[in-house]
Amino acid sequence: MAASSESVLLYISNVRCKKVEGTLYIFETRMAWQQSSKDIFSISHNYADIKMQKISPEGKSKVQLQIVLHDGGSTTFHFNNPEGEQAQRKDRNEVKELLIQLLPRFKLKVNKELEEKNRKLQEDPELFKLYMDLVVSQVLTADEFWANIANKPDTGGGGAPQSVGVSGAFLADVKPQSDGVNAITYNLTTDIIESIFKTYPAVKKKHLENVPHKLSESEFWTRFFQSHYFHRDRLTAGNKDLFSECAKSDDQDLLAEAWKVSENPLVDIANFYDDPEDEGYGGAAVDKTSTTHQVNQNMIRRFNHHSTMVLKTADDSAGNKSTPSVSNGNTTLPAAAISEASNGSFADDSSCSSWVVEPPANKRSKLIEKLEYDDLEGEETRRTARLNLVKRDRYYHGPMTLQRAEYRSNDEIIASLQAFTDAIAAWQPALPEVLPSSIAVGVMGELSPGGVLMQGGTTDALLNQMVSQPIQKDMKAIYISLCELLRHFYACFPVTSKALEEKVVKMKGTLDRFHMVKMRPFQESVMRQHYTVNLTGHLDEMLQAAYKKYEAWEAKKTGGGRPR
Amino acid sequence: MAAEEGGCLLVVIVDTNPVWWGENCMQTESGVDENQLHKCLDSIMVFCNSHLMLNSENKLAVLASHTDQSKFLYPKAESATAAAPPSVEPREDVISMATGEESNDSMFSRTNGPGSCGEGKQTSSDGRHELLAQLDDSLIDQLKEMILNDSSQDNILRAETMLAGALALALCYIHRMMKEHTKQGLKSRILVIKAGEDSASQYLPFMNAVFTAQKLNVPIDACLLGKDSGLLQQGSDITGGIYLQIPNPMGLLQYLLWVFLPDADTREKLVLPPRVQVDYRAACFCHRNLIDIGYVCSVCLSIFCHFSPICSTCQTTFKIMGRPGKAKKRKLLPK
Repeated sequence: MAASSESVLLYISNVRCKKVEGTLYIFETRMAWQQSSKDIFSISHNYADIKMQKISPEGKSKVQLQIVLHDGGSTTFHFNNPEGEQAQRKDRNEVKELLIQLLPRFKLKVNKELEEKNRKLQEDPELFKLYMDLVVSQVLTADEFWANIANKPDTGGGGAPQSVGVSGAFLADVKPQSDGVNAITYNLTTDIIESIFKTYPAVKKKHLENVPHKLSESEFWTRFFQSHYFHRDRLTAGNKDLFSECAKSDDQDLLAEAWKVSENPLVDIANFYDDPEDEGYGGAAVDKTSTTHQVNQNMIRRFNHHSTMVLKTADDSAGNKSTPSVSNGNTTLPAAAISEASNGSFADDSSCSSWVVEPPANKRSKLIEKLEYDDLEGEETRRTARLNLVKRDRYYHGPMTLQRAEYRSNDEIIASLQAFTDAIAAWQPALPEVLPSSIAVGVMGELSPGGVLMQGGTTDALLNQMVSQPIQKDMKAIYISLCELLRHFYACFPVTSKALEEKVVKMKGTLDRFHMVKMRPFQESVMRQHYTVNLTGHLDEMLQAAYKKYEAWEAKKTGGGRPR
Repeated sequence: MAAEEGGCLLVVIVDTNPVWWGENCMQTESGVDENQLHKCLDSIMVFCNSHLMLNSENKLAVLASHTDQSKFLYPKAESATAAAPPSVEPREDVISMATGEESNDSMFSRTNGPGSCGEGKQTSSDGRHELLAQLDDSLIDQLKEMILNDSSQDNILRAETMLAGALALALCYIHRMMKEHTKQGLKSRILVIKAGEDSASQYLPFMNAVFTAQKLNVPIDACLLGKDSGLLQQGSDITGGIYLQIPNPMGLLQYLLWVFLPDADTREKLVLPPRVQVDYRAACFCHRNLIDIGYVCSVCLSIFCHFSPICSTCQTTFKIMGRPGKAKKRKLLPK
């Protein structure tokens, strides 16, 4: 094994895989597992192949780590340190932390593209066939194939992926786990982090500024949760806090929102005030300056802000797609002792002194908007041109007047009418002798294959039975491939640019190769079957037409000096 | 033949164009017993019997398409015989069928049949199946009544068959029967046995009927005794029916039984005469010529074989830029 040349970042013994004791090695580019009795790696995963890692929940008796691969397979390692569960968990966490650092490096964009291409090929059998024909047989390179052929309008993909909205309770859903002493553990997932970033752009900015230059990822989040910014009662006194600026900008946001609403003349926001009914039975004056009241107000203000931000994310996600891609997998933050500061305080209201107020919306237009409905409007009268048809009966006539050459005089018609009437009058059905056997046999001859009435069009029906199934299939495949190539060939015309010129020459080469590699052998195999009909005639014709076009173009180019 | 649960409704439209048949009769006057008209009518009767015999669920209607009217020969319209016979409105005919048809059901006719269509004929005395006897008698009676009573009042002499009217009647009847037998999933088809020539004036009604049939999923088969018919070729091609111009009308029964008796499912398994190449070219409005490439007015969609600066149908004046060929684009005419 080439293991010797790689540097081992970490190795942990007493790791079981498939119930066999062994050692887990973490290398620079891969992870591997060796059975204790052997000296080769029976399991080896490149980090590029690994999709994600999963860990067993805390309460489980077995401490395990699962590696999920891109191809859907997975491997489970069981940490079995004899020193007990604590040590097992420590082993596992070490591996996990290392992998968290290593995996993102290998999560290249190429991977995603490959996956996408793979999906396309699997979903579209025709495309797959084309791929096999053109790429595997070296007619086109894979890059050319994807650039030219597969880039048809993707109807199946459903367009842009729909971004997931932010849950209003996402912060409350981060259920901190207390270990009983003085520490609280927050389990953050990528989704939650993304939600936080989306909802609080200020935090994202801080994150970009500080991670990873000044702080580590986990340190940042520890500070975030420790900071008063996160807590319900914001203490703005501490200026050292990383997030104190954020709190200020939040207040500004809030004020801006309030301004926006107050611009609407139909909403009287000043009329709302918080008047608890239960105190003094609604009549007594409430001491509005009481501390608890202020705290409550602050709280409501905070909630409103949060809701506003969550709602805003929905707006943003429509236009702005640059959602941060954070490495997936769980990020468990180390325990952080958080002291709860519960003394009420007031938000700093004075920060909102300079505001550029947008011009107030026109009250009149707002009223009109509310009062008038488009769908109740009367229909617009539009001036239309009148169609003046002179000879309308022309439309009623069919194309068969051409055949009408016979002209009958009235006398003839009367005579034939008489004859017809006589014949009907004389008609006595004689059903048993309606069909003499000689005539029946004659008609049967006409209707049997090869008969008078069975002529013409027979090739269509018989060709299906005449030509063997594999040949039909090959024929179809070759036809599709050739048509696809020709489509690209003709797409180059008119040749207006240097790039197109190159492409024409390239496509011509591709056609030549296709002719030699695919069509010739097929034609020969068809020849061997000795069919009476020329199956590949049309394929040849199409190719010849393309060659002719190319030659004409080339002659023009060389003769005329420069192409048009 | 696969016995479908709902059976099959076959509507036979017989062209009783008196002019064509009369000429035909006069040509073959020499041998009296070899009268083609008699042969063909007999053949149609046998064919209708065969269809009914094929499956007890099978249903049948026979329409006569005349020069000035279309008439149900079977099932017989009871009220129609009581009312003034010759000039029955087609519309009324269908409605009155609603009351008259039920009594023609095989169950009912066993008790009522001989009385209703007897008229002194030996209906059940010769041991024929009552349903078939009733069919035969109805066909003979109705046809004779129509021809013999009608020929007296021929102010307008027309040599063309009103096929579109008969087709529309047939489609109405099929539509009603399909609604009445939704549970069994009745399959219907129309067989046109045509003798005379196409009527150019009926082009639009005929095409409307054809597209209705296509929408109702009713194939229109065509059996041509005389000349080829461009209209019916298109009609049967659009609806997925069979078009056959038969070389020998004396063997009509054999053609009918061979080609037109099997239903649509069975036809797939048979080797039948190949589809004819249908000429879908349009005729120009000015000379009625069939053209491959022509000029189409962008306002009223009239078709012309020559360019003219003013559309003769809608009086639109075309602006001419440079050559007229550029002002109006040449278009291929799909029809």
